[in-house]
Amino acid sequence: MIPIDPNASPSALLELIYRLKVKDIMTGQVKSVEKDTSLREIQRIMRENKVSGVPIVEDSRLVGMISVDDIIRALDQGYIDSPAAVHMSRKLVVLEDDMPVSFAISSFEKYQYGRFPVINRARELVGIVTSRDVTSGLLMEMNRSLEEMERVLNLQAAPGPIGQVKRVFLVQQFDYENAGRASTELKKILQDRGVDRTLQRKAAVASYELEMNLVNHSLGGRLIFHVDDEQATIEAVDQGPGIPDLAKAMTEGFSTANDWIRSLGFGAGMGLPNTKRVADEFDLQSAVGKGTHVKAVIHLKPRPGDKP
Amino acid sequence: MTFDQVLEAVSGEPVHRSSRWTTQSVKHVVTCDLMSDVLVSDHDEILLVTSLPSDQVARTADMVGACGVVLVNGKAPQPSLVELCTRFDLALVLSPLGSFEASWRLGERLRGRP
Repeated sequence: MIPIDPNASPSALLELIYRLKVKDIMTGQVKSVEKDTSLREIQRIMRENKVSGVPIVEDSRLVGMISVDDIIRALDQGYIDSPAAVHMSRKLVVLEDDMPVSFAISSFEKYQYGRFPVINRARELVGIVTSRDVTSGLLMEMNRSLEEMERVLNLQAAPGPIGQVKRVFLVQQFDYENAGRASTELKKILQDRGVDRTLQRKAAVASYELEMNLVNHSLGGRLIFHVDDEQATIEAVDQGPGIPDLAKAMTEGFSTANDWIRSLGFGAGMGLPNTKRVADEFDLQSAVGKGTHVKAVIHLKPRPGDKP
Repeated sequence: MTFDQVLEAVSGEPVHRSSRWTTQSVKHVVTCDLMSDVLVSDHDEILLVTSLPSDQVARTADMVGACGVVLVNGKAPQPSLVELCTRFDLALVLSPLGSFEASWRLGERLRGRP
């Protein structure tokens, strides 16, 4: 049962169940079988894939469904080796992938089924949706919306002591759409304060490298800026996975990035070494399974021993 | 080298003319598809030549204080890339040439050869 009452839920939630489509929450890549597959084989598939229902297809068209109840009945009555076609449910209630999630919720209420197959406009099976998919899909989306709200709130954060700026940005793993936004903000802060262009660039590069590291390698984290007249401090704090070998991570050219990250123009193994290169102070702490904390400081007023 | 000379050199088409289009003097060109490598460059106001049409090109260019981007190999920019170049006041030029040919021609111009 899905604990959402369409008549008495907050409007933000109602807006969500109309905005989200079934395809946003369904499980795609469904394990389906042809109708001559034996029930015993289907039982094995259920066990191995930890699913409680398997769609039966004919030329990618959905023709039936076998549920765990059908399997229990077959075992009980001794026809577990017969083909799916004979015993499958043929009267199916299906959802379309373009329907709003609200349709899925009302179908769960109305039919009391554990799952619904999802088809596309061509009537092909494209996924399956369980009540669990609905709740987790909604939770994920609410989480995302909350994070977005936090991001906006941070932009409007109350000013600290005069002349000081603090900003915190949440950075999510693989969020390439927003990757770089925080660093753009830092650059703008420095620009507005009239900081020298070369120093602006150093801070922006350090921040962008750390931001891309969070996007590419972490499970998500925060990028924190502290700016005053003396220095700009950039901290990247994440929740894992942690760096197993710090010396290797600081070696130019060493990278754990995959081809996908590289195709986006990153993953050359220069991130941390380059951050250290442009920073006047640099500190890296990491523990596997816990997370990584990187701190880079750019002096806005030159100090003895600073890099040129 | 002015942006009009850049256009001519790379047989380019301007997608966005920055506010400094007519006053900017391009002195350094960095050709790269790996944005990580661009971040290592220390020159001011570079012209970035790349075949990568993603948003991160504009973001990287902005971070290093580049003055413009030449997208080579006849690649079409993603709409968000054009939008970011506009927001960051970065010139954006499309060129049908390959990376090497475009860079070589820009290099010749920088050396004062027609």
